[in-house]
Amino acid sequence: MKLPYILSPHLSRKSTFFPLDCKEAPEALFTTHAAAPDFKDFPLPLPSKKSDYTCSTVTDDGAVWTGASNGVTRACLSEKNKLDRVMFFSFERDLPDNDVRNICSDGNSVWVLTAKGVTHIELIMLTAEERADILLEETLRIVDRRGMVSQKHLAERGDLDSFLPHGHSDNDGGFTAVFASGEIFRYAVLKKEKGADHPDTLSAKEVAVRAVEAVLLLMYIHGRGDGFVARTYLCADEPVPDDGLFFRKQGGRATCLETSDSKARGIVGLTVDASSPVPERLAKLYKDLGYTDDDIIYKADTSSDEITLEFVMMWLWCRLMRDADPELTSLVIESAKNIVNHIIDNRFRLTDATGESTTWARWYPEYFVTEDGWDDACLNSAQMLMYLNAVMDMTGEEGRWQETKDYLLSLGYADLGPKHFDRHTAVCDAGDEDFIENIMYGDHMLATAAFYILCRTEKDENLLSTYRKAFSTWRFSIAREFNPTYDFPYLAACPGEELDMERIAVYFERSNISRLASEVSLVGRHDVPVKKYRAGYKESGYVLPPDERFISKVDRNPLQYKNEDSSGAMCVESCYYYTLAYWMGRFYGFIE
Amino acid sequence: MKRNIHLIGNAHLDPIWLWRWQEGCGEVLQTFRSAVDRLNEYDDFIFTCSSAAYYKWVEDTDPALFAQIKELVKAGRWVPVNGWWIQPDCNMPSGESFARQALYSQLYYYEKFGRICKTGYNVDSFGHSRMLPQLIRKSGMKYYVMMRPDLTENPSVPSPLFWWHSPDGSNVLTYRIPNGYARDGVKSIDEAVEFMEDTALKCGSDVMLFYGVGNHGGGPTKGDIEHLISLKEKDGDTGIKFSSPDEYFETLVRSGIDAPVWEDDLQHHASGCYSATSLVKGLNRKAEAWLQSAEKWNTVVSKLFDRPARTAEFADAWRKVCFNQFHDILCGCSIMEAYDDVRDSEGYAMTVAAEAENNAFLTIAGRIDTWLDGVSDTVTCRERHHFHNEKYPRPVVVFNHNSFDAEVPVRTYHPSSKVVNSKNEEVLFQNVRSSRSNDSHKDTVFIAKVPALGYSLYWLYWCTDDSADEPTIDSDVFASDGGEITIGNGKLTVKFSKSNGAVSSIKSADGREFSGADNFCLPTVYNNEKPDTWAHGIFKFDEKLGDMNLKSIELVESGKLRSVVRTKHTYGNSIITQDFILSAGMDYIRVKAKAIWQEPLTILKIPFPVKGTDCISTYEVPAGFIKRPCNGEEEPALKWADISLDDNGRYGVTVLTDSKYSYSCPENELRLTAIRNSIFADHYSNRPPADFNYCDEGVQRFEYAVCPHTGDVDVCRAVRLGELFLNRPVAVPCGYQKGSLPPGMSFITVDVPDVLVTAVKFCEDGSGDAVIRARETSGKAVRAMIKCDMLEAAFYSDYYPLEIKTFRVDKDGYVTETDFLEDIPANA
Repeated sequence: MKLPYILSPHLSRKSTFFPLDCKEAPEALFTTHAAAPDFKDFPLPLPSKKSDYTCSTVTDDGAVWTGASNGVTRACLSEKNKLDRVMFFSFERDLPDNDVRNICSDGNSVWVLTAKGVTHIELIMLTAEERADILLEETLRIVDRRGMVSQKHLAERGDLDSFLPHGHSDNDGGFTAVFASGEIFRYAVLKKEKGADHPDTLSAKEVAVRAVEAVLLLMYIHGRGDGFVARTYLCADEPVPDDGLFFRKQGGRATCLETSDSKARGIVGLTVDASSPVPERLAKLYKDLGYTDDDIIYKADTSSDEITLEFVMMWLWCRLMRDADPELTSLVIESAKNIVNHIIDNRFRLTDATGESTTWARWYPEYFVTEDGWDDACLNSAQMLMYLNAVMDMTGEEGRWQETKDYLLSLGYADLGPKHFDRHTAVCDAGDEDFIENIMYGDHMLATAAFYILCRTEKDENLLSTYRKAFSTWRFSIAREFNPTYDFPYLAACPGEELDMERIAVYFERSNISRLASEVSLVGRHDVPVKKYRAGYKESGYVLPPDERFISKVDRNPLQYKNEDSSGAMCVESCYYYTLAYWMGRFYGFIE
Repeated sequence: MKRNIHLIGNAHLDPIWLWRWQEGCGEVLQTFRSAVDRLNEYDDFIFTCSSAAYYKWVEDTDPALFAQIKELVKAGRWVPVNGWWIQPDCNMPSGESFARQALYSQLYYYEKFGRICKTGYNVDSFGHSRMLPQLIRKSGMKYYVMMRPDLTENPSVPSPLFWWHSPDGSNVLTYRIPNGYARDGVKSIDEAVEFMEDTALKCGSDVMLFYGVGNHGGGPTKGDIEHLISLKEKDGDTGIKFSSPDEYFETLVRSGIDAPVWEDDLQHHASGCYSATSLVKGLNRKAEAWLQSAEKWNTVVSKLFDRPARTAEFADAWRKVCFNQFHDILCGCSIMEAYDDVRDSEGYAMTVAAEAENNAFLTIAGRIDTWLDGVSDTVTCRERHHFHNEKYPRPVVVFNHNSFDAEVPVRTYHPSSKVVNSKNEEVLFQNVRSSRSNDSHKDTVFIAKVPALGYSLYWLYWCTDDSADEPTIDSDVFASDGGEITIGNGKLTVKFSKSNGAVSSIKSADGREFSGADNFCLPTVYNNEKPDTWAHGIFKFDEKLGDMNLKSIELVESGKLRSVVRTKHTYGNSIITQDFILSAGMDYIRVKAKAIWQEPLTILKIPFPVKGTDCISTYEVPAGFIKRPCNGEEEPALKWADISLDDNGRYGVTVLTDSKYSYSCPENELRLTAIRNSIFADHYSNRPPADFNYCDEGVQRFEYAVCPHTGDVDVCRAVRLGELFLNRPVAVPCGYQKGSLPPGMSFITVDVPDVLVTAVKFCEDGSGDAVIRARETSGKAVRAMIKCDMLEAAFYSDYYPLEIKTFRVDKDGYVTETDFLEDIPANA
């Protein structure tokens, strides 16, 4: 495997939608039917059945664009990159619907008439870095919510400018931490390449700092002062969704609001301490907007996802930006210590206002022998060890952290990691499912995060070997995604492993330049086998380029056959999907 | 937590072993009847039984009994296991054979019982390839029970429970029976219970105890069942319950089970089984290959020319082949008379293949445009004779069964003065001595280039038998006969010693020497007195009796296409003739061997010594390969084995065979075990005086090839050469006609060399959907495109290392990826 892999500029698609009676399109689109193509001897798989193609046109670059009842195909055998020789455009990211009636060339672009509208499709040549910049700009302009970066909902389907000011995600903390991690890598790369004072470097720093501040704020905003971490927070003028546990701060106390969850748990009206101050540096994120502490509604019942991803961010900060902002570094270190102390003090759990463990932040050994915990144990044990390794690495201190680590090692925590593959198989066999059918795709990110840091920080050779072995047990389901967000940390953690960089590069070369969510169903694609599993789950037989599959959060199965996870073009996702992998790859010298 | 001993009532049934199949069939009937009786007598008793072939026998011979069994299966009292036709040898069948074992068996179980088997179960099979976990999973099963090798034979294998992984990522929870599959009688059962109590305690999980009279059937007796019932009622740390393997495994996975991981194959138990009785080995290899290729061609002509799909005939033929893969049959350790039945049923299977293939070839050939203006004007008998047409060249269509392009010598049974391709370009040919002594004495061999699963048209010009016609085009083939005989072709130069008939030198064009000692390819005889037919307890055949003595060596052919050196060696009353053939453009030497073997209790090996260090041997296994240390142990393998080592850079030699399954590699000498002349069914070598019959006595014909390479073994190349060595393109003479087909055509395209298509067939459900099966061969993850215009299908797919994929293609070319069962249970 030759590194770095050189990324070349690639075509990026841009669709502009018009109504059926639009004046912008050439008249020929409505009056002259373009003849069906002759694909008789075409040497490559085509997305539509050959006999389904009804119209075609040739653009100036020699590409043949064709329409069928399930979308538009661009075929250009002279494209240098094999992957670009056949491209497919479909509802809803590229077309208003898939029923193509006519097609008409316009230079290197085309106009497409479908049952519900007219679309102008352009292909723009972009470098991988240009894509990163475009995606970042969109995220900062639309997705950012007081520094938190996960997703933003739209008032009008597909209209980016109609984004709503409010709206939260269950995983604001985790997703923002991932975004921040990407920006930390960006800062490190630019600093090395251009110098610390270069405007691009300073811009990267500004973005990274804001995101880190937003994440750290969640560790203080509840005012509990016990190292707890909120999932997210709302301000008083934001609607409170009926989704989870929310606490309204008022006069140094926080009261549990009425939601289905709080009613079910019987804790509506429960009050807890909220008197611990929020560091001013962090509080400015809402105070500068005119909110006070009493305007804050925080979300609890935080899961291990948040803690794990936030630890990645904090650890990266200390590794790569420690000196860039000493004040923030102090806060990062203090936060990390607070969290680990909380977890240890509460016997390896994140404790909610009730004094009980949150639903999904359970790292205690008793959980690991329960029916649910037995499968989770392989990942959760690694997460717990990772927090300890990370905090020791960040602080340079051992003491309590090392003692706790030794204790957990004596309980066999490290040895649980390599059991993941077989335990998960057993669970699936018991449920008469295939391994793939029962994957929680968010776990791919969590496992990658945990083992990446464990492998980068562990000094004991035997433990390192165990962690690497454990990391490899996840590759069966992770490697097939060809997602550098997972692959690059693996490579950084396990040097010498062979990866198919050409396949991984597709992620950068064929990602869209917008994170507007999009449903894309593969049903009807003639070149994509549907893979059927034991319990009936369906996948595509191979992972399609990112610009031909649905757009949703990164922690979804990219091989979904019928799109089930994206609610369609009603929200915009964060760019971390792309930017973390890109800047991490640059940082480690995997790509150039 | 209290652990349980799961009592698995079973009857080990060998349909052939020390008896012929007819007796085996009777044994099955009696056993099944007995089991039904016991089930009716004892409410808790559960009976476990494998092998769809046995159920089919019972269904056909005693429908009333079968009806009772169906009810018992429905009630969960009778548990079918192992969704394969019988309990096959698990080292020698091809990957495609395992797919067929599952296909015909699981669909049978599904049709008859409304369920498929969950547990793979080969308790007597003598070794288990590392690909088994994948083959089991893709057969629709989740768990596995095996027994051999046992704890003493391979103590490294975790026992009794472990997760077994294969390279594609498949894993199955596997149980190695620690104390036999056929406990019967109070004393034996008591011992087993005590042992299993101890085992359960040590491993901290439930265990299984297998009881019931076995081998020649029988099953649990009343006495055994009643004794076990009495044990059940006793208190103890370990519970006892009547159970089945399915229930046992499901108890484990539901309760959460951690078990050690095993990532290797499971060897060795009976190392002699891979070389005993060459007849059955050769028949199996040939039948597997022929059925595969014939079914592909039948699919082609059925799709394109509306010829009937022979799916049912192929299924019937495959079931014969699957049956003969039973471990005591394919392993060559049954009685002599049983192999008459094997020969007949394999013959049936191959006749099905031959007829279907010939029908397909003639159907296609008859539609190729071969018309020559004026050809119908010929009037004399001589002019009209197929190969004696003096005015016009004769069209010959060459068919390639493989999913990759092939360029190899092919043979027609007539001499020629010139051979041209469809573009009228001359191709290399040579008239060579035929096998007949009638009519002309010469055949034509010419180099044909044929696309993947396709054909190419060639034109052959007639000549008289005694003419010395040669191609006018240049060739780099050369030969000389001096102090040594030398043959070469620009890629290889091969020298033969006139003192012992060995290959004294093989050099590649860059000067690399591959022959590492003076016995390269020199037939060598080893002692086989001590091993029984199975070679129980013996893992190396290394007691050398001597090299065979050179009787003659001569350069028998030297032309532009090829050179042939013939050696004859003798030993005692035996003789072996080897024709070493080096053809133009080939980077391997092909060796046709014929032995007349008359040495009792001997082994004939062909050695391939190479010089260097850091040897590693690699062997083809069903649908994959495995690397092994060069420690001299006898290793099972399929069509090829390789030795690679270091001597100023890595290099090595791959050896292909058409019919052999056993190799050894002591340090830097790879050896092909070609003949092993044991007594039939000689069990633990108890040999009262008798005039014995021997497994490999008489005429033995086999072929092998020596393929030198630089660098470490190129598995992808080895696999392709192995396939090509077995599935050679076939030259079919055809007539003159105005046809619609072009002079060359391919019916399938795969865009990467690592992926091999092993089956193109119709789906068993009669829907008209087609099935394509392909596998990754190099051991690396890859994306591959398969394009098959006749099915209107073109698609990509991602493969895990050594993964086998089965695609079901509907009539519109839409593709579903499924498993060996073709999505039939799911669709139902």
